[in-house]
Amino acid sequence: MSPRTLFIAVVALATAAAGGSARAQSVCLPLPRLLSIVPAGGQAGTTVDVVITGEGLEEVERLVFSTPGISASPRVDAEGKPVPGGYRIAIAADVPEGVHEATAMAALGISSARVFSVGRLPEQTVPAPASSPAAAVTIPVGSITNAHVRPQAIDHHAFSARAGSRLVVECAARWIDSRLTPVVIVADATGRDLVADRRGEPLEFVVPADGDYLIKVHDLSFQGGPAFFYRLVLDTVAAGAPLPRHPGTHPVNACSWPPPLLAGAAPALEQEPNDPVHPQAITLPCDLGGSFQAAADVEAFEFDATAGEEWWIEVASERLGRPTDPAVVVQRRVDDAGAVRWEDVAEPADIPSPVKPSSNAYAYDGPPYDAGSADVLGRVAIAATGRHRILLRDLFGGTRAEPQNVWRLIVRRAAPDFTLVAWGLHMELRNGDRAALSKPLALRRGGSVALEVVAVRRDGFSGPIELVIDGLPEGVSATGVTIPAGSNRGLVVLTARDDAPRGLAHARFIGRATIGDATVERPGRVASMAWPVRDAWQEIPLPRLLADLPVSVGGGETFPIAVTASAPVTAVADTTVEIPLAVNRRGEFSGTTARLKVCGGPFDKAGDVEVPLAGGTATLPLDLKKLGVPPGEHTICLVGGGVTAYRPPSPVAKGPPAAPPAAQDIAEIIVSEPIRIHVTTAPVTQ
Amino acid sequence: MPGATRSTNAAIGPALVSGLLALMVPGSAAASPPAVSFTHDVVPILTKAGCNAGACHAKAGTGQNGFRLSLLGFEPAEDHEQIVTAARGRRIDTAAPEESLLVRKATAALPHGGGQRLVPGSPEHAMVVRWIAAGAPPSRPDEPRLTSLSVDPPEALLRAGAHQPLVVHAEYADGTRRDVSALALYESADPGRVTVDEAGVIGAVGPVGRTAVMVRYGGLVAVTRALVPSARPPVDFPEPRSFVDRLVFANLARLGIPVAADCDDATFLRRVSLDLTGSLPTVERTREFLAAASPDRRDRLVDELLASPAHADFFAGKWTALLKNRRDETSDITGTFAFHAWVRDAFLTNKPFDRFVRELLAATGSVVGNPPVAWYKRVRDPKTQAEDVAQLFLGVRLQCAQCHHHPFERWSQSDHLAFTAFFAQVGRRPSGIRGEDLIFHRRGTATATHPRSGATLLPTPLAAAPVALTPDDDPRLALADWLTAADNPWFARAFVNRTWKHFLGRGLVEPEDDLRETNPASDPELLDALAADFVATGFDVRRLHGTIVRSRVYQLASRAADETTGNAAAGFAAFRPRRLSAEVLLDAIDRVAGSRTGFANLPAGTPAIALPDNAYTQSSPFLRVFGRPDNASVCECERNDTPSFAQSLHLLNAAGIREKLAAADGFAARAAVDPRPTSALVHELTLAALCREPRPEEVLLAGTFVDAPLPAGADRATVRRERFEDLLWALLDTKEFLFNH
Repeated sequence: MSPRTLFIAVVALATAAAGGSARAQSVCLPLPRLLSIVPAGGQAGTTVDVVITGEGLEEVERLVFSTPGISASPRVDAEGKPVPGGYRIAIAADVPEGVHEATAMAALGISSARVFSVGRLPEQTVPAPASSPAAAVTIPVGSITNAHVRPQAIDHHAFSARAGSRLVVECAARWIDSRLTPVVIVADATGRDLVADRRGEPLEFVVPADGDYLIKVHDLSFQGGPAFFYRLVLDTVAAGAPLPRHPGTHPVNACSWPPPLLAGAAPALEQEPNDPVHPQAITLPCDLGGSFQAAADVEAFEFDATAGEEWWIEVASERLGRPTDPAVVVQRRVDDAGAVRWEDVAEPADIPSPVKPSSNAYAYDGPPYDAGSADVLGRVAIAATGRHRILLRDLFGGTRAEPQNVWRLIVRRAAPDFTLVAWGLHMELRNGDRAALSKPLALRRGGSVALEVVAVRRDGFSGPIELVIDGLPEGVSATGVTIPAGSNRGLVVLTARDDAPRGLAHARFIGRATIGDATVERPGRVASMAWPVRDAWQEIPLPRLLADLPVSVGGGETFPIAVTASAPVTAVADTTVEIPLAVNRRGEFSGTTARLKVCGGPFDKAGDVEVPLAGGTATLPLDLKKLGVPPGEHTICLVGGGVTAYRPPSPVAKGPPAAPPAAQDIAEIIVSEPIRIHVTTAPVTQ
Repeated sequence: MPGATRSTNAAIGPALVSGLLALMVPGSAAASPPAVSFTHDVVPILTKAGCNAGACHAKAGTGQNGFRLSLLGFEPAEDHEQIVTAARGRRIDTAAPEESLLVRKATAALPHGGGQRLVPGSPEHAMVVRWIAAGAPPSRPDEPRLTSLSVDPPEALLRAGAHQPLVVHAEYADGTRRDVSALALYESADPGRVTVDEAGVIGAVGPVGRTAVMVRYGGLVAVTRALVPSARPPVDFPEPRSFVDRLVFANLARLGIPVAADCDDATFLRRVSLDLTGSLPTVERTREFLAAASPDRRDRLVDELLASPAHADFFAGKWTALLKNRRDETSDITGTFAFHAWVRDAFLTNKPFDRFVRELLAATGSVVGNPPVAWYKRVRDPKTQAEDVAQLFLGVRLQCAQCHHHPFERWSQSDHLAFTAFFAQVGRRPSGIRGEDLIFHRRGTATATHPRSGATLLPTPLAAAPVALTPDDDPRLALADWLTAADNPWFARAFVNRTWKHFLGRGLVEPEDDLRETNPASDPELLDALAADFVATGFDVRRLHGTIVRSRVYQLASRAADETTGNAAAGFAAFRPRRLSAEVLLDAIDRVAGSRTGFANLPAGTPAIALPDNAYTQSSPFLRVFGRPDNASVCECERNDTPSFAQSLHLLNAAGIREKLAAADGFAARAAVDPRPTSALVHELTLAALCREPRPEEVLLAGTFVDAPLPAGADRATVRRERFEDLLWALLDTKEFLFNH
């Protein structure tokens, strides 16, 4: 395939993908989404020519990277014409090895992020890998190959190696934003399979004899296309050394790891065999590292504790990226007439999701993000002085012996704290219930968008958490709806003024709370979907944490409706207040009214309010006594949805004016501008 | 004692006198009239009389007309309550025992739907009356427990027409032993070969071969193996190549069945390729093999096939069907593909079978991270999990015991429940992938509760003591330990028997997953030897396959040496031809026709033997009509390899077959324009389809047909193509092609 044909193929596939998504965009107004960068990475200290594809990427102005040292410039062909989607990426030599994120600033604003990996090995791109052993192209050992699989295809790559070499073969995919569930098979030169990995783990291959070999790559269920890209690592590894792992993004539940101020590495390690028969003695507090080395491994640690002590136990393993389910039991030794038995003291639980996550039911029943983890976090109250022990197991480890399944065990005095993670608020409307969309913060003028924020609370912290986003582009404001005491959920609403100029900024997201006597700020994380999934029954959503929080105002479009409070609200506690609302309609809507839900601490229990979609006014009555709203400053917002007739902007065309594009019915979230309510103390009656 | 007789009255008659006199409760003093035991004396009489048969008063749930007994008297305490206490005690009259409703009904003195079951005045009638007269007492708590049952002779050699009485002894916990021949129940596994009457006299009535006679008494079973040998003089057997040959030939020698000749190389190549890889060899490989002269050419071929990916594909297909790898919804595809790949990898790397089973049984985690958890998606409830494991890996069918004591086995309802308890703590939680759960051990002590007694049962392997577990121990690991232990009486036997059937067409035990004590192997010594070898090699599946296909027994011709025995294949004296299974046949047709069958979601060229789940059965008329299973059952019988009229019609008429014959780059299209002489093409076609050179008459016949004068004005290439299509079609419809022989 010539480069030109390849380009046409890529564009055609991208167009097909965009066409498919256009039909499915009956939920949520178009947003820019950067879906692929080909190749998906490069070697530090080199320049890489890439082609980007995506949706809503009209008039891309520039590529923006999350890491200084990576920059992109548009490419031109031999005739000086711009290469569609073509960029030359310069990677400085000091860019750290790992995953970095690229976004594209397009007409609609900033796109969703796509991973761009930087490594130390030389790289090559194979645009159309061979589908048979005979046609396989040889790749060097000590390199990274960028490619993507096609539907119902098996990619074949050839390599030569010497007997006894210890090689690592890894197909990075899931954690570099690919939709590929990779299967990697090392085969002999005739294509006969020798060893396989189907879990996305690095594969060890000790070369049995000098000669040529094949690496086969395909998707677990033989899906394919540009979204199914991969980076195939083929390298030598010293005998006995752990297999290196291609860097990747982090799952959403990694937001709660590490706890604040924790050392990067555990100061002490487990001492095998540390099983119940040969326990490892420890003193509290402790911070240990280890791994579930043996099948059905039981790590046992004994310590002395005194009645009345209270300890918190936290274990990380799943949040370290391992497919584990750690479980801890704390027991006390009891001597019964010379017989020793161990009595349960505590069984610290998994880290629950702060809000009920989606159960993949027919209708929406929770966000498709789960900040909970199979890791352990819980309290241990010592009721009787004596010898105790901690038993640590991997509930997924009964039949496997994989030392790479590492864990970290921390036993500490209570250190109350919290972690925040936010994602685009889901819209419960019109066939979008099972959608799991990536939602870049590409604001339209006059529009408000909401992030749902959840808190993972640690060691008994239950106080309110103020949500703050700053560092925003000009004309954009953000207002947090505080997470109330004892609650785990809040919102942040970002609003672009009607006259906000086009702009981009990397914002800062923090949570602020009073813990003990101190006011602390904790950086929040933001999560998104690697791909815009329209139906989670047909595609598996791939949520992950983002590197940063770019926020933009596109400037080309205006949000079709704005709901605002007409004036600041002041109310007296225990009374009923009626808040006048103004509805400013700028687009067309189906139906006459939209039902909006009140969000914000105690106000969550208030009833819905209907607002006219034709524009005008409405009134929101709030019975402060019934809602139990205490005096003080409160912020609420109204969230609902409506179906708007969206007409994409006409491209600037030469020649006679074309017919305007047809309008599409698109269901979109309607979020009011935040409403601040000052509740004063009720006058004392005599 | 050929020709010996014993009373064979259908109703229990005078012949029982001596037996009944001896049947007094064990441990009672001989001088005083022995006490009648309800459990050991009365219940067996009711059982022998058929009162507590499933069709009569042991009918599930209701019994008969309000009188409900336990099936075959397995629950004496419940039966005593029914007879003595239930219905306000109206069934018993201790003042006038003979007037008891129980007695009058059984003797048909009152109208009785079951007719007369006891002969008035008979010893068993007297026994029941005496028991009632004594106050119809329940069994004493200290009454010795029945511990074992034996039958003599354990193996009987019966010439045609000969008879032999069986003697049955019961042994009790106090060491006493009684002859219970009179009250035992008898049943022949093959009444067409060996009959048995009510009194336990067996007779050879049918063809040469082996069968078993089952004896039941007091909830226990025993078995006599019966051999009906040929009347022929002893025959000579070829030199054995292994213990397999030695044992099979010894068995055949006892039966007097001569073995067939060795099969030729072409037959072996085709047979072993189909059996080990589900695939026909290529024409090139066939030519190479047929030209080879080395004495170890067959063994080398076996090594080559065992190491091939097609071997893994073929056996993965077999096992994923048994492990219910079903795709019922589109989103199931991740799980079904992952699970199939996991099974396939296990065969590809020759994972020891004990490890395979352990990883399956104790699977935890996610379907992508650890694909055997997919089994827990398809087999959801602990009862089915236990029953499937028992049937698949032990050859034990526990299903009957879920409601009542297994009628042909030792298993009680408690055994079933205690075995099920191994799966009581399987935890599930959502995984984020629709329909796929995360599987883990839910902390806690695994138990089961007996629905009738309310007793708490601990996880207990079959015929073993309960397993001591802490709440943190995953009981499934303990089950895997027991299951795969070298001395497990079933695990290795069940697998080698299943494997033997795969290659020889019939299990040493049939059905292959029913290793009951009452269903003994046709060659127990061979079953034991294969199992011992399998254990000794560390459950090495490939080696077991090699052991079988390298044997002389496997390499016998399919034409029996002595057709008069009529049963050569039963003793493995000749190879048993069998129709190619659905996937194998489809691939074979594609291979010979040069066509290709496309399957959704799979790369072009994927053979049917490598299909991962049942969705392809549903979408392919060919695979359906030729019996590919729907992966819904743990039984191999779900696969239907029986030839049928529908299959013949399909081969003759189906559009799909015609398309394959006329494939654009298929055999006929290429042959039509091939410049070589027709005879060369016929050679190639025959090698491809039958793995042998065509016979001269076949070449002549085919040449005459293909090279016949063209109709006037006809296009030569078109006509030749049609004729090659017809030739191909005819060949694909021959039994020689459709069967592995």
